[in-house]
Amino acid sequence: MASLDIVENRSPLRPLGRALSILFLAVFTLWTVLPIFVMFVSSFKDLLQAFQLPAVGDWGAIGIFFDFDPTLAHYYNLFANLNFGTYLFNSLAAALGSAAISVVLGSMAAYSLSRVEFRGKKDLFFWIISTRMAPVVAVLVPLYAIFRSAGLIGTLPGLILAYTTFNLPFAIWILKGFFDNVPYAIEEAAMVDGASRVQALREIMPLVAPGVGAFLILCVLFAWNDYLFASIIGSGGAKTLPPATRELVQPQNIQWGSIMAAGVVTTVPMLFLGLLIRRYLVTGLTMGAVRE
Amino acid sequence: MMRDGFRVIADEPAKRNPLPSRRFYFWLMAPALILLAAISLYPFFWLIYMMLHEVQLAPNAPDTWVGLKNFTQLLNDKKFLNGWLILFKYSAFCMVLEVGIGLILALVLNNSRWETVLVTIFLMPMMMAPVIAGLVWYYLYNGTFGWYHWLLQSVGILGNRSILGSPDTAMLAVVIVDVWQWTPLIALIVLAGLKRVPQDQLEANMVDGAGPVRNFFSIMLPNLYPFLLIAILLRFMDNFRFIDAILVLTGGGPADSTKILPTYLFDVSFKYFELGRGGAIAFTLLLVTIVLGMVLVRMFEDPAQKMNRPED
Repeated sequence: MASLDIVENRSPLRPLGRALSILFLAVFTLWTVLPIFVMFVSSFKDLLQAFQLPAVGDWGAIGIFFDFDPTLAHYYNLFANLNFGTYLFNSLAAALGSAAISVVLGSMAAYSLSRVEFRGKKDLFFWIISTRMAPVVAVLVPLYAIFRSAGLIGTLPGLILAYTTFNLPFAIWILKGFFDNVPYAIEEAAMVDGASRVQALREIMPLVAPGVGAFLILCVLFAWNDYLFASIIGSGGAKTLPPATRELVQPQNIQWGSIMAAGVVTTVPMLFLGLLIRRYLVTGLTMGAVRE
Repeated sequence: MMRDGFRVIADEPAKRNPLPSRRFYFWLMAPALILLAAISLYPFFWLIYMMLHEVQLAPNAPDTWVGLKNFTQLLNDKKFLNGWLILFKYSAFCMVLEVGIGLILALVLNNSRWETVLVTIFLMPMMMAPVIAGLVWYYLYNGTFGWYHWLLQSVGILGNRSILGSPDTAMLAVVIVDVWQWTPLIALIVLAGLKRVPQDQLEANMVDGAGPVRNFFSIMLPNLYPFLLIAILLRFMDNFRFIDAILVLTGGGPADSTKILPTYLFDVSFKYFELGRGGAIAFTLLLVTIVLGMVLVRMFEDPAQKMNRPED
């Protein structure tokens, strides 16, 4: 780095550039946080206070945003009257169910795909990734017809299966890249020592466990945040949080407090999970194309 | 199990060489592939059946074969053609804003003192369900009690229009929600690319007397190119995949100004329940996605891109 110091450009514009970048970061941070902040604060306001707004152009009155008596009534209302306990359970069951199926089957497939060569492997991979990339609505059309005749509409197994259509190809694809980075030499050495294939596989488990866990969480996140599948295939018996929240928007009477509270209930667990797997997030969200 | 200070994997030495057996691997991948075929290939064939029929939803009513009628109808369907147009317009808007802002954000963020903290904050919108994001913004845009509506009016740009109610602002409003949620992802991808810009090239360039601007255009940008391309393709495909926020914000209105094709497909299939026509539209959508997917997979295999990966 010493050489860098010597050739560093000393331009009079430097302080200006620094000030501009700090300004940019400040504005962008505010812009990112504000909607989430409004959601949190509004979920604690009662109905009338949530509607308070200063007159147009009256900048001095912005403070009325904070002028409210915090209440937990909306959260109570969600779980006591609006049945959100059930929806929370459905969300959890559907997300965990499909994530578990996808990661267990997916890691088995990914491991073998990373260890064995055969003809048509490329085509197989293309099929897998295009399944994942397919537009949700386009998948939904035939799936709806099939599930209708199979009686799977409005059931948790139906929803789990629907989520597996995007989670399983994701798990296979991303875990294949993950297993590719585990040296085959470890298994080879174990097998030379007399281990069977299953025992050799067990040898690399500790190496891959954190990644597999992280991608399991990412599968949970994808399924939890889904709205389209849940609103069509889950409608009726297996309503999850996102469609339930959306249904609070009624033409006559929009219950904003409850909607914001439901938004908080849906968002907070995912914020924590996101932080937990921070290291794997970009890899996961870019289908393994970019690593940090 | 430990013996003499070593961990014991197997009790006996290898009796036969397990290496030539490939069957083990095929058995291991079979369950996943069979399940995937059942939930992706089978529906795909079903889709082909549907798009060639007029699908009846009533029980015991037989579907009627109509051949390619569903497709020829689409050629005269203004909303269908318009849907593609709006989809590309919408994606183009999103892409320009997200890549532009994301690039600046990554450059400013790179080596900033607060990089870790800020990146953590910027991750938050991405973790949110798109419907919830849509609902929050719906609230902020609201004409009577929305804070962003008030803000825009107070600044004096909006006049008396309602943001989501007028065709000229609705499109931008929908784009902005996508920009809010996904610009940080682009920034993170670019940031990962920036960390991999070869320092020696930068230094050499600076020794030759290049300033930061020159550095950016002749060293950084060429190195970032594959990352930008991946970011654009991924976001482009996601614009096809997700319509949650649009459904909540405008439902495709006003006057169909935000009715991108997947939204129209949703209406045809699940509002009017014309599953045959929906099948035909879905097929065209899938076709375009598959072409895009081919480009994307090429990117994954591009040797230039592999060179940029860290030595794991």
